[in-house]
Amino acid sequence: MNNLFRRPERVWYICSAIIDFVNLDMKINRLRVWAVALAFAVTTPILAEEAARSAEEGKKLYEANNCGSCHALDKKVVGPALRGVHERRSEEWIVQWVRNNKKFRESGDPDANKLYNDYGGAAMNIYENLSPADVLNIVEYIKTAPAPKAKTANVAVAGAASDEEDPSTKYILLILVAIFAIVLIVLARVRNTLKRLAAEKNPEEFEGMAEGLSWRERNLPKTLARMNPTVLGLIVTTVVALPLGYFGYKFAIEEVGVQKGYAPTQPIAFSHKLHAGELEIDCKYCHSTVEYSKSASIPSLNTCMNCHKGVQATEKYNGEISPEIKKIYAALDYDPEALPGKQFGDNPNPVRWVRIHNLPDHVYFNHSQHVVVGKLQCQSCHGPIEKMEKVQQWSSLQMGWCIDCHRNTGIDVANNNYYAALHDKAKKDLDENQNHSQYFGPDGKVKITPAMNGGLECAKCHY
Amino acid sequence: MSNNIKYWKGEEELNRDPQFLADQKREFGEALPLDEALSDEGFELNSNRRDFLKYFGFSVTAVALASCYKTNVRHAVPYLVKPEDVTPGVANYYRSTCGGCSTGCGVEVKVREGRPIKLDGSKDSVLSQGGLCSTGQASILSLYDTERLANPLVKKSETEDWTTLDAEIKGKLAVMKATNKKIVLLSNSINSPSALRAISAFKEAYPNIEHKSYDAVSYNGILDAHANDFGKRAMPHYRFANAKAVVSFGADFLGTWVSPVEFQADYVKNRRPDAEGGMSVHVQFESTLSMTGTNADHRFPMKSSKELTYVATLYNYIAKAKGIAQIPVPNNAELAGNAIEKTAKILLKNMGKSLVVSSSNDVSTQRVINGINMLLDSYGNTMDIVNHSNQFVGSDNDVNETLKGLANGSIAGVIFYGTNPVFNHNKEWSAAIAKAKLSISFASTNDETAAVCQYVCPDNHFLESWSDSEPIKGLYHFTQPTISPVFNTRQAEESLLNWAGALPSVEKDPLSDKGILSQKFEASPYYLYLHAFWEENLGEGGYQKALELGFTDSKAMANTSEPMIASYSGNVAELASEISKAGNDDLELVVYQAVALKDGSQGNNPWLYEMPDPVSKVTWDNYVALPKSLAVKLGVDKDDTVNIEANGVKYENVPAFVQPGQANNTVSMAVGFGHTHAGKVGGSIEKGFAPVGFNAYNFMNSTRNGVVANVKITKGSGSYNLAQTQTHHSIEGRDLVRETTFGAWKENNKAGNEKAAPHVYTIWEKRDYRKDGSPNHLWGMAIDLNACTGCGSCIVSCSIENNVPVVGRDEIRLRREMHWMRIDRYYSFVNEKEGKTEEMTRENDIDAADAGDKGEYKHWENVEVIHQPMMCQHCGQAPCETVCPVIATSHSSEGLNMMTYNRCIGTKYCGNNCPYKVRRFNWFRYNDNDAFDFHFNNPLGKMVINPDVTVRTRGVMEKCSFCVQRIQEAKLKVKREGGDMKDVNVETACQRACPSNAIVFGDLHNPDSEISKLYKNERAFSVLDELNVQSSVKYMTKVRNNETI
Repeated sequence: MNNLFRRPERVWYICSAIIDFVNLDMKINRLRVWAVALAFAVTTPILAEEAARSAEEGKKLYEANNCGSCHALDKKVVGPALRGVHERRSEEWIVQWVRNNKKFRESGDPDANKLYNDYGGAAMNIYENLSPADVLNIVEYIKTAPAPKAKTANVAVAGAASDEEDPSTKYILLILVAIFAIVLIVLARVRNTLKRLAAEKNPEEFEGMAEGLSWRERNLPKTLARMNPTVLGLIVTTVVALPLGYFGYKFAIEEVGVQKGYAPTQPIAFSHKLHAGELEIDCKYCHSTVEYSKSASIPSLNTCMNCHKGVQATEKYNGEISPEIKKIYAALDYDPEALPGKQFGDNPNPVRWVRIHNLPDHVYFNHSQHVVVGKLQCQSCHGPIEKMEKVQQWSSLQMGWCIDCHRNTGIDVANNNYYAALHDKAKKDLDENQNHSQYFGPDGKVKITPAMNGGLECAKCHY
Repeated sequence: MSNNIKYWKGEEELNRDPQFLADQKREFGEALPLDEALSDEGFELNSNRRDFLKYFGFSVTAVALASCYKTNVRHAVPYLVKPEDVTPGVANYYRSTCGGCSTGCGVEVKVREGRPIKLDGSKDSVLSQGGLCSTGQASILSLYDTERLANPLVKKSETEDWTTLDAEIKGKLAVMKATNKKIVLLSNSINSPSALRAISAFKEAYPNIEHKSYDAVSYNGILDAHANDFGKRAMPHYRFANAKAVVSFGADFLGTWVSPVEFQADYVKNRRPDAEGGMSVHVQFESTLSMTGTNADHRFPMKSSKELTYVATLYNYIAKAKGIAQIPVPNNAELAGNAIEKTAKILLKNMGKSLVVSSSNDVSTQRVINGINMLLDSYGNTMDIVNHSNQFVGSDNDVNETLKGLANGSIAGVIFYGTNPVFNHNKEWSAAIAKAKLSISFASTNDETAAVCQYVCPDNHFLESWSDSEPIKGLYHFTQPTISPVFNTRQAEESLLNWAGALPSVEKDPLSDKGILSQKFEASPYYLYLHAFWEENLGEGGYQKALELGFTDSKAMANTSEPMIASYSGNVAELASEISKAGNDDLELVVYQAVALKDGSQGNNPWLYEMPDPVSKVTWDNYVALPKSLAVKLGVDKDDTVNIEANGVKYENVPAFVQPGQANNTVSMAVGFGHTHAGKVGGSIEKGFAPVGFNAYNFMNSTRNGVVANVKITKGSGSYNLAQTQTHHSIEGRDLVRETTFGAWKENNKAGNEKAAPHVYTIWEKRDYRKDGSPNHLWGMAIDLNACTGCGSCIVSCSIENNVPVVGRDEIRLRREMHWMRIDRYYSFVNEKEGKTEEMTRENDIDAADAGDKGEYKHWENVEVIHQPMMCQHCGQAPCETVCPVIATSHSSEGLNMMTYNRCIGTKYCGNNCPYKVRRFNWFRYNDNDAFDFHFNNPLGKMVINPDVTVRTRGVMEKCSFCVQRIQEAKLKVKREGGDMKDVNVETACQRACPSNAIVFGDLHNPDSEISKLYKNERAFSVLDELNVQSSVKYMTKVRNNETI
């Protein structure tokens, strides 16, 4: 928190943090989490008792086999909506279809073939790993799953909307602060005036005030009161100015223009925590240019669509496509209802992500140099990105931060032919000079740091 | 010997002009007028304490407030669907064909994130051989020109869409076809097989259409002479690589004539003293000092009107030696002493290895030249008429007839394709076009001709087009788009096919189901047209391969009806009557092309205006070049103007310029200037921007002849300060260039370079990184003064690569040009004494000569020239580094002198202390500044910025970085992919652009590198070695082959 007050722009952040704190949306979100947890805690045992076939087991299987990536309960996604399937088809039919729909179709079942053709010949996966009992458990789950409530979706949308900060709130807050400050000052003055008037009436009670002694003489201990006012002024100034100056210096050096901790709201609430953390998708799958280019590049939306054509998180939104995934579709003008094979539409609307890491224009930085040659992990600079729900700038990106790393990190010279000559020279130097060799890092270990190979020179990054 | 020669850069230096002397004492032109600004009211320098407190308080508060800003939110917009072959941050290179002029060199286009940002010559193309001229390089900026038309124009109804325009034009064409009204399609030289096919399809649909072509600068003489002598109206393909003796009459073949990039590359192969078979001899006869003339071993001033007499005399000498009948030539004796006889001897000595060229547009002259080349066995050796050039095929007759026909109504419609005759042919066109029932222009801007046409159908820029060309018979170059059309433009061929109803249908677009994601230009109908044509001719997949290479050498494609052997049937004797009419001694005007702007078709390109002319070093203007004798006679001095009148055209107060080397009784003026409808940069009357210079095409009119007789010149009343860089950054009186003769070099390879490096006493050990065997790189550069022709291609290339701003005329006048490299051009006088060429060595020699020849100033007519490219020398012990108070300039362990803009506080001490004067100071912010309204001031123009190089701001120093971004990129590639740095060729932008391979760059710690070998060459010297700054640039002593006469 202390850190927060050291920067002018942080004042805004503090204000918005306060607003965030009382934010309705946050409360709703938390309430929602608790409500869901509570609902499950209460209903699960009841349901389990009720059903001979285990709906709970069915739910687990439904999730474990990613049924939700192609099906929703109440909505046609890639495959048909599943609610009421037990009314439309016999249990035997369902079991046969789910376990091996291809064989089933080939056996000549007219319903199976009609279904296949209705969905444009997109075959469902084969699930022979599921026993017939498993399939029936899933059917049981579908049967008992709660029907959607029309209102929940609206709440979610409203919540998303309130994410956007209303700037007028900030101003109102500031104006209120100002008004209170003025009221305080006025009150203090009124109190002083009253005091003086009282002193005139009762001089004994208010010692010194009526004699016209100054504030200093009245209020300070005698040692201080007797001091030369200039000397006293200097002492006070020093006491006040030194820490202030130190504070100012630190502020200027470490904070001005530094955006460490900057975590803006993005147009699509993409979660690195989910994708990189829980699902363990390799960073390079999306940031595919990181090994070839100076830019790691924000993935183009067709990369998202590799998964999100199928994965629509309908299971979390009661059969509706996730509103965030819908934003991808809107950007690409993609119609999820359209037949498979159809590509994207003609009215695209590119996503304007908010840039988090902003190096000044006079700095050249190359991702591939650091990732491929330097063999650094993404986390070295970007922090625990796999745990971030909302990405923030982890490192200061100041030059001192770069230099520190260039001084301390060893280069893998042994496995890179480019450094062969340097490696030989270092080996020779170590042989000859032993402990006095120049190839010891600041930590006392033998290494060749970028700094030893000209990595601190200006024109390595500035040109 | 070299240090005896008196070198000088300009008259002001030679005459010790007081202004020049004053300038030399100050490092940077004029200081900012701070005192003046501060002495204004309210800004009194003698402020009191209260003022001080006021300013102090204000400043503190302002700084505090300014630092309390909320950082801008910046956005990143990724591709929706990333094209597979695009990697953000990594450049793609595509082979294509340059459209900067009709020559059509093969180029490599560097594309970053879909934006072409640099053009370089394709190394495999015969025409460019890796280099590219300044005009070609700069043509990339024409793509991002805000003056380009965003939509087609229907002038009458002011509508701007293709549907209306097509409907109207088709309607008019149909009516004119029905009534059989003649329409002329007037194009420039077209050698694209598919474009010609499109035109014939158009003609088929409308039989009333005729296709005619002409070139802004005409080669009609050469073409017609060959039609007469070989029965084939074609220009031979000149093979300078095979020529050991080159004689040129006025042809600036290294700068502007026909195919200068190819000619430079070929010519220079024989210009190094260690060339196989020895160094070639080059003799030049010309009026004005051309860039080619500055490179000649022997240069003789010639009155261009007398050229026919000269060439006929030369013919006679050769004919005499071969025992063939001579032709009668009048007043033989007058011609340049015995120069012609000597020239003939050189040529005869090099039978089959010699080449005589002339720029004359006179058919008779060209026929004599053909005769000479026939006698010298040039055809088949140094000239190829079988596989001839198609680069220029225009006809003067065609254009003159069209104008006449339009004026008298026999031609009812006209279509301009790549031509702008109102500007470059004749002013009468405006009135003639107004009479036409139908007038269409394909110009991409509303140029002089388009402005008077009814319809403008803007053509794509060549970087947006699909095309092909056949510049040399049997050699096909291909053009592929590297960007989707920036504006709503359409390729001209597509328009023609559309009107002809012959456009292939795009119903079956293989990419259409990809919706927005298809690369739209690939599916353009013209692409399908081209693709079908070439797949048919090159076999399946052949077109794809040819596109990758950029060209194909397909003899199978060649027109077999043409004879494979051309036979000479000319007869020079027929020309006797013509020869007797040759010119007189009256004053004449020679109109020439400037090296940067050439024919002026890129009239709105600031890079070309800002590039100093290779010879005169004048920027941003054309001028009347006067010989010294005439200047003295008229009393014209520096900054004076002249009034010039010829051929019914009169210009007043044209800047005058005394050009050393200008033949007496001639003046000259460059074409390409004086646009009235070019735009902000080049001048636009409708938009209120004054034309740059004067349009010299008007002097030629329909004669199409570069030599204009009956010129009247008087001193003008006005005065005009030309923005000329020749004596900026002068390093007076020091030994900067070294030269010798070929004979002396053969005896001693160190000739001219005898001056030993000074012995240096030092208490310091050699720095680690400079020691042999040290594991770092040590970058160095070598420049061959024999190969450098001074063309300035490197300057433009450097500016593009390094985001060097354009500063404009006024700033250059104040000596504030920003070019990181300059080419110093040194004149020296030569004296012909007892048949021996001798340099004038001392100033009093020159004074004596000035006084001695009674106003003829003969020695001013003939000067020798050395071009020396000069950029940061990356000194090992750099004087600039030691004086910087903030260590903004420092030394790297790879031998680079680094300049760190973000550290620089602008003291300019480094510039003061630099002995080479190569540092440039940013006096202003040159981007987003309305005072510098060039391409850095609009979003479109900024597309050309190299994203790997910082755009500098006001108040910092900058200079050549040895293209450190390219070094770093090359190193990184090796580090990433493995491999050996020794196999990687790092090329700086100047080196990459150089058509004559004069610049070599590389790692001095690699003993096998070309640069290491050049450093050991006996000709190598460092400029100002005596200062012991240990520069990283070596120059190769200039060797002149001027003893053979």
